[in-house]
Amino acid sequence: MSATGFTGIVVFVLFMGLMIFFSIINKDRKENNIRPIPGYDKINQEINVAVEDGTQLHISLGRGGITGPESAAALAGLSLLKQVIEKSSVCDHPPIVSTGNAVISILAQDTIRGSSKAISVGDQRRNPSGELIGITPFSYAAGALSTIRNDNVSANILTGWFGNEITWLTTAGERQSSSTIAGTAQLPAQAVIYASASDPLIGEELFAGGAYMGAGKMHQASISTQDVIRWISIVIILGGVVLNILGIDSFIEDILAGSM
Amino acid sequence: MNIKIKSPISTAIAIGVGIVVLAGYFIPSMTNIRFILLRTGLVLSAVALLVGIINLLTVHIKKLGAESENSGYSLILVIALLVTLVVGIIDMVQTYLVGQPNFQMTNWVFTYIQMPIETSLLAVTAISLTYAAASILRKRMDVFSITFFFVILLVLLGSFSIPPATLPFLHVIRDWILRVPALGGARGLLLGIALGTITTGIRILLGTDRPYSG
Repeated sequence: MSATGFTGIVVFVLFMGLMIFFSIINKDRKENNIRPIPGYDKINQEINVAVEDGTQLHISLGRGGITGPESAAALAGLSLLKQVIEKSSVCDHPPIVSTGNAVISILAQDTIRGSSKAISVGDQRRNPSGELIGITPFSYAAGALSTIRNDNVSANILTGWFGNEITWLTTAGERQSSSTIAGTAQLPAQAVIYASASDPLIGEELFAGGAYMGAGKMHQASISTQDVIRWISIVIILGGVVLNILGIDSFIEDILAGSM
Repeated sequence: MNIKIKSPISTAIAIGVGIVVLAGYFIPSMTNIRFILLRTGLVLSAVALLVGIINLLTVHIKKLGAESENSGYSLILVIALLVTLVVGIIDMVQTYLVGQPNFQMTNWVFTYIQMPIETSLLAVTAISLTYAAASILRKRMDVFSITFFFVILLVLLGSFSIPPATLPFLHVIRDWILRVPALGGARGLLLGIALGTITTGIRILLGTDRPYSG
């Protein structure tokens, strides 16, 4: 086994161990000690607005599939979709769901069906759609525009894998005076959403949706685990800087380069 | 026929395949199994694309019937989809008859219709991005937005090759911004995304997060 493979297993076991540990120690804890993220507060607020005004939410899951590096963003979007559907079950109109990837479209429809059954929304006409609206970046953005321009849509939640075309969606939302909560894992597009979305989700905030929407203890354990690993990373980076200054960093590099 | 995979089975398949694919990254002897599973996943993705396109066609045909405000767009979509499909089928038949690849008509559609449209849309995106950058101070007047705005201005000025923006110090500032704070910030964001990605993956492997009706 290579040093990289061994390191990977160690990291995986460390993450899994911490997640299980935090989910156990937080089992009986009632309060949520996590910093507020305005984007998720806004989603909860917009769900309440949709219930009271009889409007709809538009959830767009982006173009990411499940076989590439974009899969985690797409899966995080699906997780958020599940929570939003469950919370907005009392709305007169169900959320409209759009995707730019066929696999995510099928998973979205499956999630919708599963969540609707769980909350006993039997009427199929009330179920949100989850349709595929385009498979290239611009056809997807152009297809989503008509949904955003729907007068009955009060907020747009864009979570998943988006490129620079997301500026079309955020700008259209702004023109409609509807809130736009947007998050993506692609770096250039994060700069775009920071400039154009009313409530951007930056960096790892995209993956924290479950913890903020009440998806369960494991989601909160994920946040705690990320914090612990983040501190470990900071210590390692600072340690690397000190080693570099002392001139003994090549010793560590030699160890990492060698196989075990 | 309505085939419904019961949730424990679908969950077990998802967790099992996930663990084997992950193990394939770390254990060399499992690499082949990982590739087989990934290739199977790609084939299933292609089938899903077909299902997605049929779904798209069905939705827009329904919209045509409903005579909604946007039914004109739906009509264009249905016609374009069917024409492209017919063109593709003709090219495939010709390829089969001639015995060598012959996708002239498909290439024509992509070169003279798809590409010009996508290029025009790219130009619109550039305008839209400029508008977004310009309007950020109207949306949020805080320290971060002001910094964001002025950094954009400095980087743009440092990138111009026309006077008076060719002042040497602007290039130096631009290079420093791109090499130090921008790169550092990007790495910080990537670290955060990597942490989020790993925890999302582990939740699916543990079965606590099921993005399917399991």
